Amino acid sequence: MATESLVTYPHDEAVDFVIVGSGSAGGILARELSTKGFSVVVLEQGPFRTAADFNHDEIGVLFNGELTGGERAMASQTFRHDESDEAAPSPFRPPADYAQTVGGSSVHFSGNYWRFRESDFKERSKLGAISGTTFADWPIDYDELEPYYTRVDWEIGVSGAPGPFDSRRSKPYPVPPMPIKSSGAILERAALKLGLHPQPAPVAILSKPHNGRAPCIHCGYCMSFGCEVGAKSSTLATVIPQAIATGKCEIRPLSTVYKVNTNAEGKADEVLYFDADGQQRGQRAKAVILSANGAETPRLLLESASERHPDGLANSSGYVGRNLMFNGHSIANGIFEEQLNDYKSIQVTRIVHDYYESDPARGFYGGGGIDARPLFSATPILYALAATPPSAPAWGRKFKEAVAHNYTRQMSILGNTTSLALDRNNITLDPKFKDHWGRPALRMTYRDHDDDLAIAEFFRKKSLELFDAADAKESWSYPVEAQSGGAHLLGTCRMGDDATTSVVDRYHRSHDVRNLFICDGSSFVTSGRGQPTMTIMALAFRAAEHIAAAAKANEI
Amino acid sequence: MGSNEVSRRLFLQGSGSFVGSAALRAGIPGLAALAQIACSARDSAAAFDILTANEAQELAAIASRIFPTTDTPGAHEAGVIWFVDKAMGDFMAPQLEFLRGGLSGFQDGIAGNNTFSSLDEDKQDEYLGSQEQTPFFGFVRFLTLMGMFGMSSYGGNRDQVGWKLLGLNPGQHAYQPPFGYYDAEHRKGESNGD
Repeated sequence: MATESLVTYPHDEAVDFVIVGSGSAGGILARELSTKGFSVVVLEQGPFRTAADFNHDEIGVLFNGELTGGERAMASQTFRHDESDEAAPSPFRPPADYAQTVGGSSVHFSGNYWRFRESDFKERSKLGAISGTTFADWPIDYDELEPYYTRVDWEIGVSGAPGPFDSRRSKPYPVPPMPIKSSGAILERAALKLGLHPQPAPVAILSKPHNGRAPCIHCGYCMSFGCEVGAKSSTLATVIPQAIATGKCEIRPLSTVYKVNTNAEGKADEVLYFDADGQQRGQRAKAVILSANGAETPRLLLESASERHPDGLANSSGYVGRNLMFNGHSIANGIFEEQLNDYKSIQVTRIVHDYYESDPARGFYGGGGIDARPLFSATPILYALAATPPSAPAWGRKFKEAVAHNYTRQMSILGNTTSLALDRNNITLDPKFKDHWGRPALRMTYRDHDDDLAIAEFFRKKSLELFDAADAKESWSYPVEAQSGGAHLLGTCRMGDDATTSVVDRYHRSHDVRNLFICDGSSFVTSGRGQPTMTIMALAFRAAEHIAAAAKANEI
Repeated sequence: MGSNEVSRRLFLQGSGSFVGSAALRAGIPGLAALAQIACSARDSAAAFDILTANEAQELAAIASRIFPTTDTPGAHEAGVIWFVDKAMGDFMAPQLEFLRGGLSGFQDGIAGNNTFSSLDEDKQDEYLGSQEQTPFFGFVRFLTLMGMFGMSSYGGNRDQVGWKLLGLNPGQHAYQPPFGYYDAEHRKGESNGD
């Protein structure tokens, strides 16, 4: 695949759209708008890697952050749990954990593609207010999004089979589920024993050829890695080449956006960025779309403060950066007598959605889904470093025996759970630390709500029950505690009908700036059950349709 | 010639013989084993880029107790110390001072003016046990595992001994189901109509 765009736009002539970010939302918007004939420039801070650039290098990818921006990314973010703390950079990983490469985090994700259910959009109405939170309904419902979920299934490529609790779908999956792995088979057997309803996991990874793309070869380097055969349905493998092929879309990699300028009429008219050589550049635009993810999008809006917008662009509500949600996770590990060899193939092949809905009888808000996966036992260094059983020592002969024997015999059961929207969990600009461009660092403040911890604890216990039912030789779990970073970056520019409590309207148009659109994880009102990317992509297809219609009607 | 040179040579002698015995255990035919030894001798003749010979000797000794050679290859055969040297000159460079300072403190704690590498294995394990909670130990453990299981291009995991130890076939990059015992059983159940 070529990384050269077929068109180069002059910087000082306004293109129809500048899109910031080429990930799950930005890639889809670029393809949709360019195929409709609009001129599009996509500014992506990462390089333009292709399938041929991806590898199985665990040190490079997992430890040196080859795809996530490495040390620079770590130095450009700070974290604190509470407003009373001083935020500091993390020495281990960027708190907002996302990929910097054309295709964004869809390149390195594990591809768990759960649709939301009807209830996800209207939970506030169903359950009532939760004090101290900004828990709210979405302005749209499942029926409105369903056609776009189906477009993701078919145009991006999702493997799966309907589950017993799934919401209505208008079309079957385009390709069957991925072949079951031993972790999936173990979860399925245990879940059936407990009277639950295991189902094949829907994943954005091809089980069969589709749309001219090859299927998965089960190499195992999936979570955190880029796919070498293009079987993972990233925007890099799907819509971005199509956007380029229109001849209307220029992808500009290594372009780090730092400001959106507005003109005297209050319209966004230029996007400022550092180019590959570190030079400050500007691209003029008739309209701007931010799809930089739920951490970088609000950061950019706050950084774009001006005399007219002293609290940041599009922030008259004060909601920019607020209500950050990560999703919660519980992790339990189990060891079995025979070899699972779960280092082969994708992460997840079976899930259990029996505890998806929030149940007032539990005494707290929350729900989630269970999945089985290798997690740690997909790659050897991570496994040896962090996942040997507590019965084994940390070094020496017995440690070595535990690593050598169990790497192929171990798996994890995860709970993927809800996060409540809270004012205190947010993205702001760090007053002290700066990134290597000299911009204020992205400051993340996050402490899980007590109910978020309670539902994760509920799933931790369920996972151990499942390991018991599966006759695991040994099982253990990690304590549920406050998270200090996340890969799901949601809620920070929420959509809503009320301009005083939301940043964008139901069509992703900023309430304040008429030609500024925001579409990515930041648009979320609630967190869903731990697998947000399917919904980000569906929102992007829907947003593109409305944005294109508005542009054609001269209503931007 | 300083004392560093002498100990470097001693260290390298050990290295060559271990590689040789690993080759024998792996059943490599005679000629290939000789070639392998020649090859590793050539590697070994190269000085460390970053570590002094003393540092390398001590760190290698620690790595060998963290991931020991048993009836299967360990940190020594994987060439963990070569990974450490390479990493310290490259992406781990900012941690070099921490590693050096940590090693010096680690050695200072050993009774009777001994170095770690001069102790017998039982004494080494006893002392290492007392250091288990230190950041230095944690860091050397981390380096050992990276050198054991990282890609060989980083200088360790020689001949992919780390991956082979786990039961992996290093040359294979694609798989087909059945992947493991339990999914194979699951498929049998399905074809039996269970």
